Amino acid sequence: MFSRAVCITALLLAGASTHAGDIEATATTVAGQPLADVAVVLEPVAGYPRGPMPTVTIAQRDRELIPYMTVVQVGTAIEFPNQDPFKHHLYSFSPPKNFEIKLYAGKPEKPIVFDKPGEVALGCNIHDWMEAYVLVVATPYFAKTDAHGRARIAHVPPGSYRLRWWHPRQKRELPARAIKIGAAPTRLTQALDVPPRIIKPKPPLDKDSY
Amino acid sequence: MIFRSLQHRIVIVFVGLLLLVMALVLALVTHSNSRIVGAEIERELAAGAQVFSLLMEQNRRQLETAATVLAADFAFREAIATQDRPTIQSVIRNHGLRIGAQVMMVIHPDGHLIADTQNIAPANRAVPFPDLLSDAESAGRSYGYRQMQDGRMYQVVMVPILAPQRIAWVAMGFLVDDRWAQDLSGITGLAVSVIRRDQTGVTVLASSLEQSKRAVLPAAVAGVVGGMPGELPIGAEHYRTVYVPLGKDTSVALQRSVEQAKAPFQALQTVLWTIVLAGVIVFSFGSVMLARRIVRPVNVLAGAARRIEAGDYAEPVPRLMSDEIGQLAASFDHMRERVANREQKILKLAYEDNLTGLPNRTRFIEEFNSLPPESRGAVVVMNLDRFAPINSALGHPVGDRLLSEIGRRLSLFQSAAILVSRFWGDEFVFLLRAADREAAGGFAESLIADLRHPFTLDGHRLDVDASLGVALFPDDGRDAVTLHRRAELAMYTAKRQRSGVAFAAEAGDEPLPEQLSLIWEMREAMARGEFLLYYQPKLDLAGGHVTEVEALLRWQHPQRGLVLPDHFIPFAEQTGFIRELTPWVLEAAVAQVAHWRRIGIHLVPAVNLSALDILNPKLIDHLRRLVEQHGLAAKALCVEITESALMEDPELALTHLNELAKLGLKLAIDDYGVGRASLAYLQTLPVHELKIDGSFIRAVAETPKNAAIVKSTIMLCHALGLHVVGEGAETADDLAWLRANECDVAQGYGIAKPMPAEELPAWLTGFSVRRWKQA
Repeated sequence: MFSRAVCITALLLAGASTHAGDIEATATTVAGQPLADVAVVLEPVAGYPRGPMPTVTIAQRDRELIPYMTVVQVGTAIEFPNQDPFKHHLYSFSPPKNFEIKLYAGKPEKPIVFDKPGEVALGCNIHDWMEAYVLVVATPYFAKTDAHGRARIAHVPPGSYRLRWWHPRQKRELPARAIKIGAAPTRLTQALDVPPRIIKPKPPLDKDSY
Repeated sequence: MIFRSLQHRIVIVFVGLLLLVMALVLALVTHSNSRIVGAEIERELAAGAQVFSLLMEQNRRQLETAATVLAADFAFREAIATQDRPTIQSVIRNHGLRIGAQVMMVIHPDGHLIADTQNIAPANRAVPFPDLLSDAESAGRSYGYRQMQDGRMYQVVMVPILAPQRIAWVAMGFLVDDRWAQDLSGITGLAVSVIRRDQTGVTVLASSLEQSKRAVLPAAVAGVVGGMPGELPIGAEHYRTVYVPLGKDTSVALQRSVEQAKAPFQALQTVLWTIVLAGVIVFSFGSVMLARRIVRPVNVLAGAARRIEAGDYAEPVPRLMSDEIGQLAASFDHMRERVANREQKILKLAYEDNLTGLPNRTRFIEEFNSLPPESRGAVVVMNLDRFAPINSALGHPVGDRLLSEIGRRLSLFQSAAILVSRFWGDEFVFLLRAADREAAGGFAESLIADLRHPFTLDGHRLDVDASLGVALFPDDGRDAVTLHRRAELAMYTAKRQRSGVAFAAEAGDEPLPEQLSLIWEMREAMARGEFLLYYQPKLDLAGGHVTEVEALLRWQHPQRGLVLPDHFIPFAEQTGFIRELTPWVLEAAVAQVAHWRRIGIHLVPAVNLSALDILNPKLIDHLRRLVEQHGLAAKALCVEITESALMEDPELALTHLNELAKLGLKLAIDDYGVGRASLAYLQTLPVHELKIDGSFIRAVAETPKNAAIVKSTIMLCHALGLHVVGEGAETADDLAWLRANECDVAQGYGIAKPMPAEELPAWLTGFSVRRWKQA
């Protein structure tokens, strides 16, 4: 499995539209299909510069956690606003952030600060199909692929980095790879062995029932 | 015996039919029962197996659902997520209790055990059923039957613990034990056993069977013990078995006991057998009763029939029930009465003389034949003298009444020792048992003495005399016919001798064998021409001429010489040979007279006809032909008939006489006076001539009584227009007396003895010369 699992190709390509230090990453499935929700993380070997800490939101809307996958830097506070007309019971048993927001409506009193790196799975205790994933990383250089499998990390200072690809449903953790970032924009392509998302059955919305 | 067998037949047919029907029913029931049982077992097994599968599926869903619900429990997930082994251990124990699982395991997604209620110690041990895990990874959950470390069988459900991504698997084991098997057995109606088959052999992991059967189940499953295919012999029973696979080496044996399935049918068959047995007993009893009811009256009838067969008509047929046999019995009884009446009548007719009521000839012969052999006794024949004149003078009714009176008087002699019978006419025959000659003679004398007392009928006093013949047995013969005949001959002798009684021994009689040979010889003699005719002249007293000759038969016997007719004519009459003899005599006589006529001698021949002849229509025809053939003139042929011959059948005799008279024959009554005919009777006949018996003519001149009779007879005859012939004129005195008393014709030794035909012409010549000389 390992032999056919991963194929990494790093290409440095000159592009007019890209700036120096920009990273263009493309993730695909093993079959070559564009793969969304892939975290592309660059960890500088020299250490982590402290970046801005924007507030991140993972909303609950229409009985879904949106977005499905979120990458944050350690110490980021995440808001969990409930936009549904009923309550949710958000929880995580993941070691980096074990928490629980018991039945609530609207916006919780305070956001949850994700203060340890690692993977955090989020679920709702009363809606089993609701799930979301948070990757807490130390570095500020990271991005998430869009529906086209593309991600962009801008203004990465040149230097030595460890490149990580991560997906919540990946079958195995890809080993981090050393990578040098120069002046020129960098294009990265990675195929990941990720099974398609199984959409858990969601009962139809009945105003009286839910 | 045959009636007993009828009874048996009825019983056998009835019971046999019942047995046949019952046997068919039993065979059918047994056959269809075994088929039904077989089909029923198959059906039960199939249905049980289906129910079992459905239950398993349902069970699986329930367990999966329960496991899924349990795995979704927040606190449970929270506890698992702590990754604190003691916590996890205790939570799975707790939640295992909640769901009722005996075994709980928490398994890391990578396949190692996190916690296990069965074995706490070894951490990070690989999961014991990786196949279930891989099934669960591909299908989201899995289910199966697995044997755990404790050696017991479990239903294992493996579901993921989601938080919300899969953080672990939880496996829940539900013990598959005897109770489980019994529950399923209760629902499916089949024996349920979980069996493991591997290299080590067959192991029973759980079973609803009782301990003893369970112990032998492995051997049966392994096929160690033989049996019907698909049927496992377990203990005393046989189990039809289907296997439902559970896992790799394990399967569930669903079994149905053939014996238990058969049990209700066995019970039915037992009931049926009981019914058959009871039915046969009741039926046998019933048909025996019925057969008896049928056969008993038949036996009664048969008994009655046997009595009637034996001649016992006296006992009436018992009255039976008014069914068909009863009707038969009634008809049978009527028949018995009628037959009895008829038999009495027939017996009377057969054995009794109508006129006198005395036993008849048949009865006499039977009585004689019933005498013990070698017994001695006598047969006495009694015949009335001068009965015919009485009969013809006073009429038959008077004659019958006289006979009846005589019968009444004779019946007084009837006793154990003496049988009095009437044979016919005026002939009475007596059978004297154990009588010797003296006793028989005495009896005959007493009869004669008794009859001397005159009878009185309508004021007429009638004197009756009788002649008796006595034959003694066994001296004179051994059979009734012989004895009667000999007694009769003796009686005739007595009559002739006027002696009243004569004994057969003195009267003489040819012994029977000689008689038989005589009859045979007569036929031979006829063929050989040994018979010849002698002629005796009849002298016309008025004219002194011989005008007629009487033809008299002689037999020129080669050994015995010339035999007189008295010695053979009676037997010729008895045997009917006379019918052949008389025509010959007639032919010969007519031919002889024709011969004489040719040499100038004109004579009328007279031929004697016997009783048989005069009653024989053929002879009448013969005479007619003779007259026509020879063109005989009127009175050119004379026939002589004795009175007694006429008396056999007077009416027929008269008819024939009239015919003969019409033919122009001359008719003469022979031997007048010894018989029964009266002149009054004779006068009614178309006769021309009366020949007075020689016993009256002989020495008539010296016997005034005879002379008176002859004289008056001649006078009467002349008055009636009859010629009178005097026979037996032996002397010149006789002839002179006859001539003096105007007798027309005389015949006898006084004129000439019978002579051969060839001597007659010379005698005639001599006679005319003698007469001429006298004149």
